[in-house]
Amino acid sequence: MAHALACFHCGEPVEDGACFLANVGGRSEPTCCIGCKAAAEWIHSLGLADYYRLREQPAERALRTVDFSAWDRPQLQRLYVRELDDGIGETVVLIEGMRCAACSWLIERAMNGAAGISELLINPAAKRLHITWRRDATTLSQILARLARLGYTPHPLDAQSLDALALHESRSAMKRLTVAGLGMMQSMTYAVALYAGAFEGMDPVTRDFFRWLGLLVTTPVVFYAAQPFFVGALRELRARTLGMDTMIAAAVGLIYLASMYETIRGGLQVYFDSASMFVFFLLAGRYLEMRARYKASDIVDALARLQPALAQRRGAGDALETVGVHELETGDIVVIDNGAAIPADGTLCSASCEVDESLLTGESTARLRHAGDDLVAGSIARTGPVEIRVTRIGAQTVLSGIVRLISRAYAQRPRAALLGDRIAAHFVAGVLVLAVLTAVAWSVLDPAHAFAAALSVLVVSCPCAFALSVPIAHLRAAASLARMGVLIPKTDALEKLAHFDRIAFDKTGTLTEHRLELTQINTCATLSADECLRIAQALEETSSHLFARAVREAARDMAGAKKTACNARTVVGAGIEGEIDGRRYRIGRSDFAAPDRDTAHSETDDVTLADETRILARFQFRETLRADASAAVDALRTQQVEPTILSGDSQARVAALAARLNIAAYRARLTPADKLHALQELRAGGHVVAMVGDGVNDAPVLAGADVAIALAAGAPLAQSNADIVLTCDRLDTIPASRTIAQRTLRILRQNLYWAAVYNFTGIPLAALGYIPPWLAAIGMSTSSLLVVLNSLRIAPAKTSATAGDGTSSTYPIVATA
Amino acid sequence: MNIVLVLIPLSIVLLSVGIWAFFWSVNNAQFDDLETPALMPLCDDPPPLAHGDKDASEAENKPQ
Repeated sequence: MAHALACFHCGEPVEDGACFLANVGGRSEPTCCIGCKAAAEWIHSLGLADYYRLREQPAERALRTVDFSAWDRPQLQRLYVRELDDGIGETVVLIEGMRCAACSWLIERAMNGAAGISELLINPAAKRLHITWRRDATTLSQILARLARLGYTPHPLDAQSLDALALHESRSAMKRLTVAGLGMMQSMTYAVALYAGAFEGMDPVTRDFFRWLGLLVTTPVVFYAAQPFFVGALRELRARTLGMDTMIAAAVGLIYLASMYETIRGGLQVYFDSASMFVFFLLAGRYLEMRARYKASDIVDALARLQPALAQRRGAGDALETVGVHELETGDIVVIDNGAAIPADGTLCSASCEVDESLLTGESTARLRHAGDDLVAGSIARTGPVEIRVTRIGAQTVLSGIVRLISRAYAQRPRAALLGDRIAAHFVAGVLVLAVLTAVAWSVLDPAHAFAAALSVLVVSCPCAFALSVPIAHLRAAASLARMGVLIPKTDALEKLAHFDRIAFDKTGTLTEHRLELTQINTCATLSADECLRIAQALEETSSHLFARAVREAARDMAGAKKTACNARTVVGAGIEGEIDGRRYRIGRSDFAAPDRDTAHSETDDVTLADETRILARFQFRETLRADASAAVDALRTQQVEPTILSGDSQARVAALAARLNIAAYRARLTPADKLHALQELRAGGHVVAMVGDGVNDAPVLAGADVAIALAAGAPLAQSNADIVLTCDRLDTIPASRTIAQRTLRILRQNLYWAAVYNFTGIPLAALGYIPPWLAAIGMSTSSLLVVLNSLRIAPAKTSATAGDGTSSTYPIVATA
Repeated sequence: MNIVLVLIPLSIVLLSVGIWAFFWSVNNAQFDDLETPALMPLCDDPPPLAHGDKDASEAENKPQ
């Protein structure tokens, strides 16, 4: 493998004899396909070769030229283009293959150079291009073709899904955060002046001036920036629960109202700085959480990518017309090209076809379908063109059913947050009761102190240390995980991440790569293994099947002359037949290669090579393990986590793989529903279960696990459900993340202990009226400072923790934020 | 010390101007993409366009 070339554009290995040389800046660079060659040359001719220097990840393999002209049909334009006045169109395009900021730089430069484009907005995190263009100067198909020439796959999105919602959410979050931050800085400045005044003496007029200023800058923080918390609290009240939002809203509201009352009254102390600091830190935590959530894709993206928007319909008089998928009706005959995705569920009309359902089932091998069999929308026809008769469209397709299954499983999911919310509710209730009791007791004893003492109780207990300890520790953990390439869109998953003691892996695509390797050649006749391999290589020369690629890989290092096969003929689902040096050979399933001499081997994955009279050899293959799979499994085992494999693949393959990874517990031939059931069994046994998967079929299973971990290279639908997304695509980050999560929880517990000690000494003293304003202020600041400093310890521990696990590897630097 | 009575309100006015400017720029898509603009200074030469598109020079002057 050392001499294998990598494609200049997409970085995939270039196969021997299949190398296209791209002329880039006078030099010849190897590329893997004609699409990549064209993309590289075109990018260079635009003067945008800097892209290759700036990018962080290799590009997606470029598509061959695709005809986009169907997108100009009026029926499609109505759905995908929003008509602005004066002949200006507006569209949102989801760009598959956009991986880092360099991509958006490239697209922006290249598209701005095109005629007729009036505005261009790119959102790299959501992989969306928002484009407005003049209808008289260009067409949608030209724009899409230009994107495709850059090497990306454009998917126009429904005009209704113009990202207004997400965009609005992220913009208003940014504005709220800024208002809270600036408000916090200002009110702290005034608070310092007031504290100094409390020590040095300050005349009441100046003091009141600063207090009114504090009120002025805190008012927008409370009424604008903290609005989401009040809205959330209202929602919780309507649902008759006491939650985190209620606690935050109660604390902010009470501190604000009390301070306002004190300001008007000219009372003892104001706490505007704590109110705005509290709001700012909480908003900062939520903002980062939101960014992580956007990085993991959503369901709309997934559907756009899986289901093609166009279909070739056989209309009246056998003429083919390209129509939008929404125009299809049951009973239509649709023609699917070789390698194209199936647009709707249907039955096969052609004789036979190999169908790749890996996006739906996650299993690597293409399945053979015969006439009359059902085909599922979203799967890919490997041996086309074929014809299908549409049976189900739109919401009735299997794909839509999977999406519904996901949402249902997700709704039933036990939330870790539920327990935390209940504790928070008790705490809020307790503090409120205590404050009321203090007020009542003091109004009996000495009414003049009643309000001040009750307020002291609230201020001393509620805001900083307790409330800050959770968001700050979460924030710190999320940031250090992101640096390893682990995104955690739902921060409440940290607790389960630290505690899971069973981990279930999907097999294909998760533990293994979508590749096979040749392990053994059992010769059955006089020919040597090398000769058999050479014959096999000649026969498999042009096949794109996984077995063929493994044979070519194995034969690459062999010395000596290559053989060539003539009259090679592929029999779908069986094998290849061809002539070499005048002799006929067959390679493939044993009942095809040697029909009359077939023995018991048909169940296994062996590939048989035979000539006209006898079987020459049997080739044995195994799946290629991910490089870090066994290290990750071992590291998890040292952490007392029991690994399990849940796979839809055959018993023999799963068993072989489990043996290689030394995993005793495995289950094969499972449907997604079976997997979900297996997870529930494990959880019923009192275990906290993590599930790692990548395919669309894993998505409902992921939703049913305590901790759902998705690989970034996998299906977007799986990611949309995951608690944790491994953008680095490395399994050995799982044990490392678990260590960080455990450390986070330990530090969180220390923070809470500290806050509890502080509160339980502070509250009684405050209730008894022993704490003067300046002492309460110092105590409050010190306690929050300690919490913040303690939380900072989460990150540096990362390197030592991973080294201790035996997974001391360097992580790729991933763009965070 | 009376100067404080002028300076502090002045600072608040400046603050509100700053917040207004920030809101304006957020609403005009200046903060929708926080990653790409960081790469802009890394390539100082404007790309020599081979295709002679006339919109290119016009596009160069735009913020996005």
